[in-house]
Amino acid sequence: MSRRHPLRRFPSALMAWRNLGRNRVRTALATLGILIGVVAIASLGMATAAIQQQATANLEGLSNEVTVSAGPDNPNDGISADQVDDIERLAGDATVVPERSNVTTLSARNGAETRVSVTALTKADAMYNVSRGSISNRLRSGALLSQADARRLGIEIGDPVTYDGKIYRVQGILSSSQGIGGQQRVLVLPLSAMDNQNYYDSVTVLAEPGQSVEALTANIESSFNTADEDIVRVRNFAFVQQNVGSFLSTLRLGLLGIGSISLVVASVAILNVMLMSTVERRGEIGVLRAVGITRGEVLRMILTEAVFLGVIGGVLGVVVSAGVGVILFEFLLGSPLSAFRWQSVQYLLYGMVFAVAASSISGLYPAWKAANERPVEALRD
Amino acid sequence: MSVIVLEDAIKRYHTGGEIIEALDSVNFRADRGEMVTIIGPSGSGKSTLLNMIGLLDTPTAGRVRLNGRDVTDFSTDELTEERRSDIGFVFQDYHLLPMLTATENVELPTMWDTEVDRRDRAVELLNRVGLSDRLTHKPPQLSGGQRQRVAIARALVNEPDVLLADEPTGNLDQDTGATILDELTRLKESENIAIVAVTHDEQLVEYSDRVVELVDGTINT
Ligand SMILES: Nc1ncnc2c1ncn2[C@@H]1O[C@H](COP(=O)(O)OP(=O)(O)OP(=O)(O)O)[C@@H](O)[C@H]1O
Ligand SMILES: [Mg+2]
Repeated sequence: MSRRHPLRRFPSALMAWRNLGRNRVRTALATLGILIGVVAIASLGMATAAIQQQATANLEGLSNEVTVSAGPDNPNDGISADQVDDIERLAGDATVVPERSNVTTLSARNGAETRVSVTALTKADAMYNVSRGSISNRLRSGALLSQADARRLGIEIGDPVTYDGKIYRVQGILSSSQGIGGQQRVLVLPLSAMDNQNYYDSVTVLAEPGQSVEALTANIESSFNTADEDIVRVRNFAFVQQNVGSFLSTLRLGLLGIGSISLVVASVAILNVMLMSTVERRGEIGVLRAVGITRGEVLRMILTEAVFLGVIGGVLGVVVSAGVGVILFEFLLGSPLSAFRWQSVQYLLYGMVFAVAASSISGLYPAWKAANERPVEALRD
Repeated sequence: MSVIVLEDAIKRYHTGGEIIEALDSVNFRADRGEMVTIIGPSGSGKSTLLNMIGLLDTPTAGRVRLNGRDVTDFSTDELTEERRSDIGFVFQDYHLLPMLTATENVELPTMWDTEVDRRDRAVELLNRVGLSDRLTHKPPQLSGGQRQRVAIARALVNEPDVLLADEPTGNLDQDTGATILDELTRLKESENIAIVAVTHDEQLVEYSDRVVELVDGTINT
């Protein structure tokens, strides 16, 4: 007794499978076309997801910040201690960091010089991250220096820097990926370093998760300013995030468009392959029709072949794209497994859906054509 | 009652402004248990006639009856259903599907009827035509005679009322042709079916119960 084929209950699938097995090279090439299309869509999609995640991570530090500085109608040359108290009251749970700033020239023992902006504040740990060294809440006599300047001046942890005649020891080097606002060239000192200034140059309010940055901004603005008097200037960076977000979605659409073109090319290849193979099998399909296989059954059989090409190409494409995704995320974000978050893994699904849809659509015409061939004609030659 | 009847069947082809009358008022019938052979010179309309009988083509004028029912005006899909349930085909070039085993080829006409399993009947038919040891072989691994026997088994899998054969021995040598014809004769009786064959083969004519000669699209009596 011959054994039953597992696909026996699905005759269209069984026949499609056997037919694809007849010309392996052609099947492999058609599959490869689909595979490339899927990889194009999925990996471009995942690349934008990676860029997006990176941008979000970079913007995160900014997105909860509200910055208050003196407005044009402020009687003083900055924010007064009383005003800081007012802000503190309005801010609720948010951390309020008043700071004074200046510019100075740092020089190294080897004679190199560089100009940096100087920020004097308390609560440095709320505002900055270090890549080396540490930050204590109050810097006391410690300082933080941006990485680029530290490198340029050859300054290491523990080395002294001089500001306004006083010596501070560098206790931390700021990490370079400190967001778009950029701690590019900055020396961070304890607030006491600028005690000679009466006013604060700016006050940063760090909103707690759940606190609305927009509401905080509006609150502070309305309690200090009136319609014709701008005592303070209040800014937040929510708009930056919005702009970056909309740029990224444009980028994503563009890249996905490019990816889709390759899938369109692949489906034209499938159309060609299916047309060729149905023309070659014209007589055979005539026999099927003669012995009583209906047009609908022939149509389903050939359509199934096209769908199989799409599914095989799609699955292989998804496997390859997952690999590409892992490499991309490792490269761009340093965390390969982030590739499997929905934000990026969804593109694998889209690639698969596109592959199956594109190949089914390309299979329609050849299938319809083969099914409607008159068996008498097909059998004549 | 005759299995298949053609009444005043006319078939015209229009080619390049010219009208070819391939069949001209042909009357034909075949009964269960008889083998009718259609002979005639090339171009006389034998294949055209067989296509009418096999419901692969419809006449330009005239009637076709299958088991007493007028099927002349049936739609493409209705005709397909009739072929599937009542008619078996054997072709000169066997026309087996190369990627299917002998058994699967025999099952082919009923393959899409998933609710009835014809596997057992397929195997039994292959036994009957002497291919019990070739069930899982594929056509390229079979000889011409073996292929034609698979084709005969395929033509019978749906328990047809009529089996149609266009030059069934055309590609076979004398001896193999004879075994095929013996096979057909036995099956004609055991299955009680009508066999209509088109041939140039004198040998086949000897096996038939009745011979119909076509000349220029008309039956020569
Ligand atoms: N589709 C068609 N279009 C035009 N003319 C056709 C068509 N089919 C058959 N004919 C013509 O009809 C006539 C009969 O053809 P048919 O194929 O029935 O002959 P035949 O008796 O089977 O010949 P042979 O013994 O060579 O197979 C021929 O003149 C042929 O050219
Ligand atoms: Mg002929």
